Amino acid sequence: MKTISKITLGLVTASMLFVGCGNDATPAKKEVVKPTISEESLGLRKVSLFEEDKAVAPRKTAYSTAYAGGSKKINRAFQDAPPMIPHDTTGMLPIKINDNQCLGCHLPDVAPTVGATSIPPSHFTNFRPASVAVKGENTSSEKLAHISIKKENKLVGARFNCSQCHAPQSDTPLAVKNNFKPEYLDADGAHKSGWRGARMLEGLNTQESVK
Amino acid sequence: MSLSRREFLKSSAAASAAAAIGMNVPSELEASANAAEAGWRWDKAACRFCGTGCGIMMATKNGKIVAVKGDPAAPVNRGLNCIKGYFNAKIMYGADRLTQPLLRVDANGNFDKKGKFAPVSWKRAFDEMEIHIRKALKASGPEGVAVFASGQYTVMEGYAAQKMMKGGFRSNAIDPNARHCMASAVVGFYQTFGIDEPSGCYDDIELTDTVVSWGSNMAEMHPILWSRVTDRKLSDPDRVKVINMSTYRHRTSDLADIEIIFSPNTDLAMWNYIAREIVYNNPDAIDWDFLKKNIIFAASPVNMGYGMRRAGEKSVTPVRPDGSAGKYSAKEMETINHEMVHKVSAKEAPALEPYGYKEGDDMVNKPAGLKHWEISFEEYKKFLAPYTLDYVAKIAKGDPDEPLEQFKEKLQTLANLYIEKGRKVVSFWTMGMNQHTRGTWVNTLSYNVHFMLNKQALPGSGAFSLTGQPSACGTAREVGTFCHRLPADLMVKNPKHRAITEKKWYIPNGTLNPVGNQHIMKIHRDIEDGVVKFAWVNVCNAYQDSASAKHWIKAARTMDNFIVTSDGYPGISAMVSDLVLPSAMIYEKWGAYGNAERRTQHWRQQVLPVGNAMSDTWQWVELSKRFTVEDLWGPYTLRNGVKLADVRAEAEKMGYSKDTTMFEILYANERAKSYKVDLDSFPQKGYDNTECIGDSRNVKGENGEVFKGYGFMLHEYLFEEYASFGRGHGHDLAPFTTYHKVRGLKWPVVDGKETSWRFNVKYDPYAAYHAKENGRGSTHAFYGPLAKALSQGNLLGITDKKKKPLTDKAKIFARPYMDPPEMPDEEYDTWLCTGRVLEHWHSGTMTMRVPELFRAVPEALCYMNPKTAEEKGLKQGDLCWVESRRGKVKAHVETRGRNRPPRGLVFVPWFDEKVFINKVCLDATCPQSKQTDYKKCAVKIYKA
Repeated sequence: MKTISKITLGLVTASMLFVGCGNDATPAKKEVVKPTISEESLGLRKVSLFEEDKAVAPRKTAYSTAYAGGSKKINRAFQDAPPMIPHDTTGMLPIKINDNQCLGCHLPDVAPTVGATSIPPSHFTNFRPASVAVKGENTSSEKLAHISIKKENKLVGARFNCSQCHAPQSDTPLAVKNNFKPEYLDADGAHKSGWRGARMLEGLNTQESVK
Repeated sequence: MSLSRREFLKSSAAASAAAAIGMNVPSELEASANAAEAGWRWDKAACRFCGTGCGIMMATKNGKIVAVKGDPAAPVNRGLNCIKGYFNAKIMYGADRLTQPLLRVDANGNFDKKGKFAPVSWKRAFDEMEIHIRKALKASGPEGVAVFASGQYTVMEGYAAQKMMKGGFRSNAIDPNARHCMASAVVGFYQTFGIDEPSGCYDDIELTDTVVSWGSNMAEMHPILWSRVTDRKLSDPDRVKVINMSTYRHRTSDLADIEIIFSPNTDLAMWNYIAREIVYNNPDAIDWDFLKKNIIFAASPVNMGYGMRRAGEKSVTPVRPDGSAGKYSAKEMETINHEMVHKVSAKEAPALEPYGYKEGDDMVNKPAGLKHWEISFEEYKKFLAPYTLDYVAKIAKGDPDEPLEQFKEKLQTLANLYIEKGRKVVSFWTMGMNQHTRGTWVNTLSYNVHFMLNKQALPGSGAFSLTGQPSACGTAREVGTFCHRLPADLMVKNPKHRAITEKKWYIPNGTLNPVGNQHIMKIHRDIEDGVVKFAWVNVCNAYQDSASAKHWIKAARTMDNFIVTSDGYPGISAMVSDLVLPSAMIYEKWGAYGNAERRTQHWRQQVLPVGNAMSDTWQWVELSKRFTVEDLWGPYTLRNGVKLADVRAEAEKMGYSKDTTMFEILYANERAKSYKVDLDSFPQKGYDNTECIGDSRNVKGENGEVFKGYGFMLHEYLFEEYASFGRGHGHDLAPFTTYHKVRGLKWPVVDGKETSWRFNVKYDPYAAYHAKENGRGSTHAFYGPLAKALSQGNLLGITDKKKKPLTDKAKIFARPYMDPPEMPDEEYDTWLCTGRVLEHWHSGTMTMRVPELFRAVPEALCYMNPKTAEEKGLKQGDLCWVESRRGKVKAHVETRGRNRPPRGLVFVPWFDEKVFINKVCLDATCPQSKQTDYKKCAVKIYKA
């Protein structure tokens, strides 16, 4: 029972056959059904659920040990996706209220000189209206006029916790491949945010009829 | 303005479409043509993950998602998402998506529980489900057919499942994974307010001066709310105080002014300490005018057990001389025996003294239900007496290396911040207070403090339960996919509520089953006891997410039953199942979620599902075609002797025949058909709609024929019929189309306006109406209708059975500190806490398939204190065993990570199939809410 079927579900689907079978009054079709997929081949565990002793080996985390500035940038997953951290973060995390070491290199006035990815304009843009609606008006922005876009000269407080979007990446073989295909709008979209200016409003009117 | 109740209800029901105003695009802000040129289509949607309920903008091209960005128009998150939110773009594209039903078969293609899986058609899948449901009904009646439901169901899916289960099969054995995450909060709301869900809203964050996080790692679990807290803190660092209350240090501590590391379960004692500080040492801080008008005091039994199995249940019978019982080992029974008799410990004895217990006494536990009674303020004051700073600091200090005096100072400062006049305070909590064997209690204790200070249901002040799942509120709670609930706070045990539901569903009077006790752990236990014979896992991972997991897996794999899992990806529940169904994932279907601030958000189908995957709604609707009036609506006797009437004759009087299918009655009826497919108008124009018009994949349905769609707007029908339960009853939702124009609205939506602060006369039209009706002239009206007449008594029990009404009032409860049933001892010397990490969602089925999220956290680590590691002879990166009385797993040791526990506690997250920590966890629950306590059990740690 150790034979773990390597057939992917996609292949199985493709190989499924429907064969005519004319015995019934209604021309029913009988499927050919063959037991080919073991339960262990499903999912990420790959070992019997009753087993813990021998077979189960947790994956091993291995984050980059390259020093900041000495690592190769990781492509953004898609246009304007948050970039992942290519360098060692030992000693840099956790971010504290008075100690955000990420800013030391990534603030735009420093970043180019040290070869770091520059914190983009979106992080210096506050979309939260300055005052909270307490008079009973709906908080949901139904018009673009309701959307507040305020440029600030410092990193917006809501974006202070860098690690809520940006994470170091372990050199661990993927458990499963992902078939997502990125498409970049900008030539440098794999490395640079293009989400600025008018593009911040792009697509927000979702009531437009679609061609 | 005098508005009669009738007029009021009418105007609110109209929930005017007038509020929905088209967006005007000022020409100077016209978006660049970039995306349009690239052929991208942007649309709004809700994030798939946590209960925060962020809005996302999603771009599609050629039927595939190509990008996601934060929605600047969404009030929750204003243009920002967390790492999971952005990667919504990739969650549907893992290479092992389920694309075809899979059935366990023998070599001849017949169902075989021991067989391997074979791909089969949907028709065959429904054939097998039908066979096994009929078998289960025959063997056990409606109690034999169960559904593991979900707080991740869309509103429409939950409603569709609810109708077929309760209306069709007459089974109340449908209970969501939200039971594991929110049930204690719900019972807390019901007992305190008489109605579910929070008073306040997220805007409290921008308005408050103080954020206290109780058992909630908001920085990782509600990152966007935490970003709002951070923004608030940074905007006024001296005034704004952030306090993190936790059993171990984590990211939420990193921005906190004060961190209080406490011993597991002592949150009960700390809430009572703050209350005692108010009552005994700062009585001037009490707003007596508010209390007298709005609040009563209440008590309930303390000897109610821990929600574990009870003696006499089939699987713990017989008890053997070695201490083992039935299917449970002697080790397991050491803990389970507390369910019957518990010896009062030195730690809890002072708190239980007002109840007549002293250290060493045997507390004989009995199921207590939800019973409670009114007591006097003097009695409540007597109850608070033990919670002195000395006592509470002694039992609550959670870091053995912290000096007691320092801990005391922090507790005092905490109390002072709550009490400080003019200081606004928000208390947030999540799983720490909900996953708790006294979860209901600790939830109610939070409101005590806020009520006494009149800091509840005000802008910037209030105790606020954060939800874990994206639609734990919107679906599980509001639609009522719990075993005991019906939509909009109706209850299955209430005959009037059943009658309302039967009328709305056009099903015979007497169809609905009045016994709703098969909560999610009971379903697992009923499978193990051989009662439940058919179980269907919907939008959850019931076999990875339940504690004492080995029992449930063994029961599913080795007993005579049929387990079905519908999912996007194969997880542990799929491995355990007999039939696996491929489900359409979130953006492959129309849907709606409701978040923790009562905000309902809809989205449209963005792309077609993969392979032959179809939505869970479709699966329920197709299944309903297989069952008729004759099949389901005859007489039944439940195991407790309650009889379900034969309603077939009544059905015929209503115009149904015995061959009328549940499909015709519950889904494709005349009302449903009045909701038209209209591909020329908003919001349907330009969007796929697989259930209603079919799609180009030509998937073959239940009958083996190509599915061409139901021909009417099923999503709108389900939503509108569901919404009709709440309109006019404090749960008003806006019309379906309105939600497609706005970034969500917070219910009750009255006259097109959302409600930000409930129960407050100024902000909640229902409160204004009730305050006027009751004539008390108060600022508040706690108008929830449940348990609004109580007997009178003292801490020990009821002294006068006569029930006194408490119209529009809320309750302050006397509820003591008590130990959990399993605590570290000599052999199992370490606390185990489980939970999530930022980058992974629940059991990891989606997030482990996104490379960026996988690589961020590829394994579940065992986070521990470096000193604990040293004591156990372990080093950073070593493999260790984590072993409890129930099972053991291996994990790598992490002593320098984001979670930094004190000595004596370890944290192991549960997303990783290879570190199956729920084999180790204990399935003790809050006996009132039935929610499992995943945060506490005793383990030993040693080198692997």
